[in-house]
Amino acid sequence: MPTTFTFGEFLGARSVIGSTLAELGDEHSNLFVLTPDIGATLVEFRDKFPDRFIDVGLAEQACVGIAAGLAYDGNIPVVSGMLPFLSMRALEQVRSDVCYPNLPVKIIGTHGGLVGNGGSTHYAVEDLALMCALTNMTVTSIGDPLMVGEIIRQSMTMTGPIYIRLAVGKKDKVLYEPGEHDVRIGKGIVAREGTDATIFTHGTTVAQALDAADELAKDGRSIRVVDMFTLKPIDEELIVRCADETDGRFVVLEDHLAYGGLASRIADVVADRGVRLTTFERLGIPQVYAGFGDDEELRNKHGYGPAATVAALRRAVSAQH
Amino acid sequence: MSTKTLDAGALHSVAELEELSFELRTKLLELCGTYEGAVHIGGDLSAADIFTVLFHYGMRVDPSDISNPERDRFVLSKGHAAVCMYITMAMRGFFSYQGIVDTYGQLDSAYGMHPCKVQLPGVEASTGSLGHGLPLAVGMAISARHRGDDHRVFTLLGDGETGEGSVWEAAMAGRSNKLGNLVAFIDRNRQLMTSHAEERVMFEPYPDKWRAFGWNVVEIDGHDMGQLVGAIDALPAPDSDVPTVIIAETIKGKGVDFMERNLAWHAGSLGAADLEKALAALQSSRTKENV
Repeated sequence: MPTTFTFGEFLGARSVIGSTLAELGDEHSNLFVLTPDIGATLVEFRDKFPDRFIDVGLAEQACVGIAAGLAYDGNIPVVSGMLPFLSMRALEQVRSDVCYPNLPVKIIGTHGGLVGNGGSTHYAVEDLALMCALTNMTVTSIGDPLMVGEIIRQSMTMTGPIYIRLAVGKKDKVLYEPGEHDVRIGKGIVAREGTDATIFTHGTTVAQALDAADELAKDGRSIRVVDMFTLKPIDEELIVRCADETDGRFVVLEDHLAYGGLASRIADVVADRGVRLTTFERLGIPQVYAGFGDDEELRNKHGYGPAATVAALRRAVSAQH
Repeated sequence: MSTKTLDAGALHSVAELEELSFELRTKLLELCGTYEGAVHIGGDLSAADIFTVLFHYGMRVDPSDISNPERDRFVLSKGHAAVCMYITMAMRGFFSYQGIVDTYGQLDSAYGMHPCKVQLPGVEASTGSLGHGLPLAVGMAISARHRGDDHRVFTLLGDGETGEGSVWEAAMAGRSNKLGNLVAFIDRNRQLMTSHAEERVMFEPYPDKWRAFGWNVVEIDGHDMGQLVGAIDALPAPDSDVPTVIIAETIKGKGVDFMERNLAWHAGSLGAADLEKALAALQSSRTKENV
């Protein structure tokens, strides 16, 4: 796995998946990789461990079920594919075959959010809501391509299932220097310190949140950016601390339905813990089937692009108590 | 690997297996007579002989060592026949039969309508939603292959269940992965919950569908213990390349005349009076067959 990339460079998260799994295959002789015909990412693993690479063709339900069967027998199965299909076509297998018996199946995939210009059949925009609803499931959404490798690595010792969401994964901005943050599943990353407001985000919109924070800095405003890459279990203490340290001013930005994803997870913590906020605004996909366009065009059209993010942060820092 | 010897019980004779099946049906009816909730008695009775031949003859298992890696695996895809599996396994020594009778379906019982591996580790998988068992079994069979183990993975599906598309996805995967260690029994009772099979869903030509997916197809009378034993004896070697499906022609409600082929007895509960009738019918059915 390349470790020399630094902030601002681009790297495909898919290549990190492939190289990480190929490395882990050496360490774990019981690691299997399964895919429903989305194998390009996995060539390195397939070539190295052909007897532990299972391409079932276009059969997401069987793919997840077979992974569960492997896990019952003590193996570590990774299912890799496109998330709109793994999270919906195979949802019942994920729920009843994997989560119910709490098996260590890892589901990793691309096309989380309005990315890839495939149209609404090919956008996973409800997936985090669905996955967060499942008992035993750990839910992550990763923006930094190098972090993907770290999360896959950490997931190897988990006793239960994990869902790892990526965007398209072909060209991702490196957000963090390797070793810059203590990356741990279940703990949010404070990607940038700040005191005037907090923007929570995950996955592909972390870069957008950092850019928006730069814009606000020009106004002399200090915005904290939290990469809440684990949606479940959510880092409650960090949410409480951010409310305390950034005057209860929250913006949540995500490439997912605005209701049901991270914003809803945070709203639950706010309600359950009685956190006092000054303002709370969510930026995400409204209740529409989004249509075609490139990633940023779609975000702009649907109200959660770069300009909307800057505007929301300006509202947050100027909101009256 | 465990050094413990696994065998298929005492390699019962056909007559002994028939006796065990009769005992299983008797116990099923008794539970159906005492438990106040619904028991899926129709599909239990259709599958009873298949369960008997698997747990008392066909499968290498050890009730005292449920994690033995060499054991044959059994995935109950038609999870609503769980109570038939529990009782069969109790008769084989896995569980306490009295424990099933005393707690079935009650709060905190390990024995419920559909099997749960977490609550009852002696079973191989949590199932219940139809169409899920064959993919699980394919995964287990691939695992066995990878380890070089020679055990088999058995699964039992209802024929109605094979309307689920995931069954055919797994059928393709089983053949593509050359899993000669995979054996699927189909309880071909020709009834769904609310209809007789061909009334609404055209299953026929049913064996040809499996042949078209490249499986080794064996057709038997699923209530003829001699044929069931013969099908087990004739299974291809686990290291062969083609998975086997044993299509067992059965009768839903088999052994109790007023339940046989009766859509009203997909699931239900027998009161004390009906229990007596059902047990008498079962006895009478056996007497007739022995004539």
